[in-house]
Amino acid sequence: MTLLLLFLLASLDGALCGFRTCMGRCPLIRKKGHYTIGVLRGVLAAQVVSGFSLICLLIVAAFARDPQLLRGDLEKSAVRMLFVFIPYTVLVLGNIALRVIPSTDIRSATSVFFLGPLTGIRPFVMIIGVLAGIWRAQLHETVFLGLFVLALMLSVEYVLNFYCSRLQQRQIRSLI
Amino acid sequence: MQPEISDLVVQHDPKTLIRLPVNKSEIAGIFERFENKKALRVIERIPAKDGLLDSIAVDRLMLTVHWEMQRLAEEFYHGRRVLQIVRATIEALHSNGLKGPIRIVDVGCGIGYTIRWLAARSALPQEGVELTGVDLNSTLINEANRLAAAEALPCRFFHGDAFSADLRGHMYISTGVLHHFRGDDLVAFLRRHNSETTQAFVHYDFQPWALAPFGSWFFHVIRMRTALARHDGVLSTARAHNADALVSAAQTAVPELASGIYGAKIWNTPAPRVFHALVGFRPELVPHLKQTLGRKMGELQ
Repeated sequence: MTLLLLFLLASLDGALCGFRTCMGRCPLIRKKGHYTIGVLRGVLAAQVVSGFSLICLLIVAAFARDPQLLRGDLEKSAVRMLFVFIPYTVLVLGNIALRVIPSTDIRSATSVFFLGPLTGIRPFVMIIGVLAGIWRAQLHETVFLGLFVLALMLSVEYVLNFYCSRLQQRQIRSLI
Repeated sequence: MQPEISDLVVQHDPKTLIRLPVNKSEIAGIFERFENKKALRVIERIPAKDGLLDSIAVDRLMLTVHWEMQRLAEEFYHGRRVLQIVRATIEALHSNGLKGPIRIVDVGCGIGYTIRWLAARSALPQEGVELTGVDLNSTLINEANRLAAAEALPCRFFHGDAFSADLRGHMYISTGVLHHFRGDDLVAFLRRHNSETTQAFVHYDFQPWALAPFGSWFFHVIRMRTALARHDGVLSTARAHNADALVSAAQTAVPELASGIYGAKIWNTPAPRVFHALVGFRPELVPHLKQTLGRKMGELQ
């Protein structure tokens, strides 16, 4: 259950990364399609990361001396991570929900005062969350898996940004 | 006051509007005098041929920056904000007996976000309002026209002088243009509104206040990707004119219009908005506008 929750959070994070990385790269006015593709790209990237993580987990579990102990240790670590990730997610989703209010000032304020800074601290939240998870881990395997997943998740936005940037530059070169 | 990089890398002959070659070391020298290493790094990365900036590389960079800058307008719901005051002004014009089509001109429109937004999201074109944008940069105008055509938007963009006889309008709008004019140039720019046709102007720009430079820096670091957009965005806030300077310039330049500041405070609290607007209206429009816009409209002089 805990791992499933982490998977869902990773997918949501991927979706938001996908959305962010395609912002400012399409100058049309009506661009739902552009954003939809961006979000789907982000979700797909999160699935790839989750898939790699699962493969790595299975390999580590296959070679573990005590698979039951590893499973318990991973579960406890994941719970500790959720203590960091869930409040952050609630803050992000809460601010996105506030944008339903039809006020240009409230919508702009959520962007400037909350969503912007929350985006800025995202890498630190991820690092703190994973460190909180593996800090009291009993097994080296748990620490390794935590750091491996952290590296993968941090690379998602970088890779998506790189991809979208290449796409944008190709488009601009075709214009000029 | 330091110039913005974008003001220097693209230069035009003021009379013919022909693009002029830009000497790389010359503009680098300007920022060297200010010891502005960030600007120097941006200029250093722009390719040059025989000491002159490669115009194609500059155009590609400017397009990337303008695509990115549109995001800022989107996040601030700028289109909606402009629509509110434009609609109130048009109602005031109609109630004062102006018949026939009304032409809105976006001065220094860049890739024309505001005009394209109004064309896509409002009923103004169906109501006989002609939406146009004018800029000195032909690359940006070509892009604005391409984007409008791609979405079949009822608006047009022109390379030229927004105040010339063939392009002039009833209402002038702009976003982030005023701070580019320093000293007497601001009065000279506003003086160009002096025409029988001109009924109103609404010029949005950054509102300077104590935390604006920090806020702008933070926003640009988080949201903007190109170094030029980050540099010029932050500098724009520092270069922005305060309300007194803007109103005083407008009163000197166009005394026949009632001028003031619009939308400076959030819900009439002391909290400032990121943008405020220097506005000017024919005096007969003012009562209707005050009634429609209420406390958002400051004192008009």
